[in-house]
Amino acid sequence: MRRIWPVVAVLVLGSCGVRPSGVTDAGRAPTGVAHGVTLYFVDAHERLRPQFRRTYRLGTVPEAVSLLLFGVGDSDLHTEIASVAGPRILATTGPGLIQLRVPLALREVTPLGIDQIVCTALGVHVQSGGSRRTRVQVRFTLSTHESEKRRTCPLIR
Amino acid sequence: MAAILLIEDDPLVRRGLQLALRRHGHDVRTAGTGEDGLRELRSATPDLVVLDLMLPGIDGVEVCRRIRAAGEVPVIILTARGDDFDVVGGLEAGADDYVVKPARPTVLDARIRAVLRRSTGTSDGVRVHRDLRIDTTALTVSLRGDLVTLTPTELRLLLTLSRAPGRVFTRQRLLEEVWEQDYLGDSRLVDNCVQRLRAKIETDPAAPEYVQTVRGFGYRFGPV
Amino acid sequence: MTGRLWPRGLRARLSLTFVLVTVLGAAAAAWSSAGSASTALVTSTQRRLTESIAGQIGATTPQLTYPPDQAALDRLRAAVGANTLVTYRDLRSADGAETGLVTEALHTAVRTRDRLVTQRVTASGRPWLLIGTPIVITGPDGARTPSGIEVYAVRDLTGVERQVDDLAWSAAGTAALALPPAVLLALLAARSVLRPVRELRDTARRLAAGDLAARSPPQGADELAELTVTVNEMAESLQTSMAAMRRMQADARRFAADVSHELRTPLSTLTAVMEVLATAAAEMEADARESAQMAITETHRLVRLVEDLMEVSRFDAGTARLRLEEVEVGNAVRDCLRARGWLDQVDLAAPEEIPLRLDPRRLDVIVANLVGNALRHGGPPVRVSVSATREQVRIEVGDGGPGLPEHVLPHVFERFYKADAARVRTPGSGLGLAIALENARLHGGDLTAGNASGGGARFVLRLPRKREDG
Repeated sequence: MRRIWPVVAVLVLGSCGVRPSGVTDAGRAPTGVAHGVTLYFVDAHERLRPQFRRTYRLGTVPEAVSLLLFGVGDSDLHTEIASVAGPRILATTGPGLIQLRVPLALREVTPLGIDQIVCTALGVHVQSGGSRRTRVQVRFTLSTHESEKRRTCPLIR
Repeated sequence: MAAILLIEDDPLVRRGLQLALRRHGHDVRTAGTGEDGLRELRSATPDLVVLDLMLPGIDGVEVCRRIRAAGEVPVIILTARGDDFDVVGGLEAGADDYVVKPARPTVLDARIRAVLRRSTGTSDGVRVHRDLRIDTTALTVSLRGDLVTLTPTELRLLLTLSRAPGRVFTRQRLLEEVWEQDYLGDSRLVDNCVQRLRAKIETDPAAPEYVQTVRGFGYRFGPV
Repeated sequence: MTGRLWPRGLRARLSLTFVLVTVLGAAAAAWSSAGSASTALVTSTQRRLTESIAGQIGATTPQLTYPPDQAALDRLRAAVGANTLVTYRDLRSADGAETGLVTEALHTAVRTRDRLVTQRVTASGRPWLLIGTPIVITGPDGARTPSGIEVYAVRDLTGVERQVDDLAWSAAGTAALALPPAVLLALLAARSVLRPVRELRDTARRLAAGDLAARSPPQGADELAELTVTVNEMAESLQTSMAAMRRMQADARRFAADVSHELRTPLSTLTAVMEVLATAAAEMEADARESAQMAITETHRLVRLVEDLMEVSRFDAGTARLRLEEVEVGNAVRDCLRARGWLDQVDLAAPEEIPLRLDPRRLDVIVANLVGNALRHGGPPVRVSVSATREQVRIEVGDGGPGLPEHVLPHVFERFYKADAARVRTPGSGLGLAIALENARLHGGDLTAGNASGGGARFVLRLPRKREDG
């Protein structure tokens, strides 16, 4: 019978309210702050190149794509996306997929230009804590099957 | 001196007792079984029967009962010492006395003589008490004119008691006077004999008129 | 456990143990389920809180100026909620009320780990969840570097604690609910276990009281049943051996009785013819006469021995009966002495008249034996005194001889005991005192042997005056 009492003590003390604990890991730290945003353009050799813009904040995916569409500015890089006025970008972020609605027709963009859009969007998504394996769907104004493609950025793997 | 019938199954005991009793002057006939004994009894009535209770065939108690039914011949039974069952049975069947085996001929002879003496008494004439008439000379008893047959022991008991009407006789005293026994005599002899006597002379043996019981002491002769 | 705390009765112990085990089991089950439930509750609450904070931070940071100024920190703090502190290098957001609870361990963990961490603390009797996290900068390529911004939030867990307490109370209630049925079951179990024990006890008691036929039916196949079977077997063998012993005893007694009985017939013949021989002996020549005399004497001895043996057999068989008559004790003793011609050799003192109901023949046997012994083995004067108290009559027989040796005293009433081994021939059968004692006991009295203070053996017979069956 002597053996019973320790059991009783454990039971009585064992489940009494919320007890203090040590420091416990609770997951990845949040992210999203940045000195600026990274846009992707094309160099003279038709290669995608990142260009950092110091904006003092990361901003959203549509803001970054809007900046991309706005143009390369003073640089030895160029863009392969046709210039459009008053671009209005819509971005929907779902699980594993970012849907971008761009005010462009497919003919206004070269394949490299599509990569520029995909890489810029994915870069912001990753920097704000998203997964690098997220795919990007670029939906153009005129209906085309290119709108359904789920794309990845060749520079962000 | 007396004609005795000895009924005893063991031939050697029978012969031994016969020899010894002859020495005391008795004429002893013998029988080996109850049946033979009763036959002997019918052929010639002895003065007295000495009866062993342990008999083959009809047992001693039954033989005793038949002897008593046939007449007033006195019976002395031979019994194992302390075999109360035998003693009581024999006395109730009408035996006058008993002797414990192994019986010493002297003792047996004394008892035989005592029993036989009972048929004689002091003769002082005729005593009449109500319906009962006792002739002490002729040794006859009659009740309302009818002759009552009594065994010698019963007669001697009645004579002893009626000698002094109203006087209380202890059992001890009666044993000494009637049975001629010493202080260790068996009082059941008296009680059994009283019962037999009452059966013969009392109108109602349960409420006796002549032989009365005095509780704790003994008997007395009435009416007082 | 002391005897005072722990009851001694098997039933109480069994019941208490059963109740204790049952209630403890129920309590353990209830407590452990309550424990795991409350752990799950706390964990999920924590996760919800941390996820909400992480989500709020993650939702705010993309629009947050970096490096942040005071306004940015305050904005982030406002987004995360009250009781939150946001720091960046030397900058601190406005303090939340309870952020002082944040521990140094949490600070260190936040600074070194680059991970979101939590810690539970108790302050002023209330439980709190501390959440701390650095905000990291993630490059487009996924590289993470510290931003220097740290967020600390303090959340109240009182609500959770109340829920946990409710769980604990309901667990206690569940355990308490188990108590009445446990007590009931314990009593039933104790009864079913103790019934065979009680039966066994009753059987053992009956066996001890001499009822050798007592058995208890074994039930089941447990240890108790085995014990019962063993007890039964023990009783069986006891009964068997007792029966065998009694049978042997009875056989031996019957043999003695039968032998005596069988001897009687030849003794009857011998007794009958001895007197014939005795009268004839007078005319015999000397040798033949002496031989005849010896035959006669020995025959009488043999008769006496057989009679005594039969008397003893009757005592052994329990068939000896008293024939009670009212006698005067003094007279009875005097008659006994007179019948044997001892009156002039014995001083009889019977001053008062003592009426008593007894068996005169058996009293005669006792007195004759005691006085006969005194005359034969003791020395004169032989004295017999009869006296009485209210309860009993006392007959004392003493002699003037050397008395009984100490080593003989315990054995004088034994059958065939001979005090002096050299004295082979005595006129007695060797059963006289044994029979005298049995006769005294048959009267409800007693017979004792001893020595008088002035020397000489002294036998005292005590007979009760009032007998229930007399």
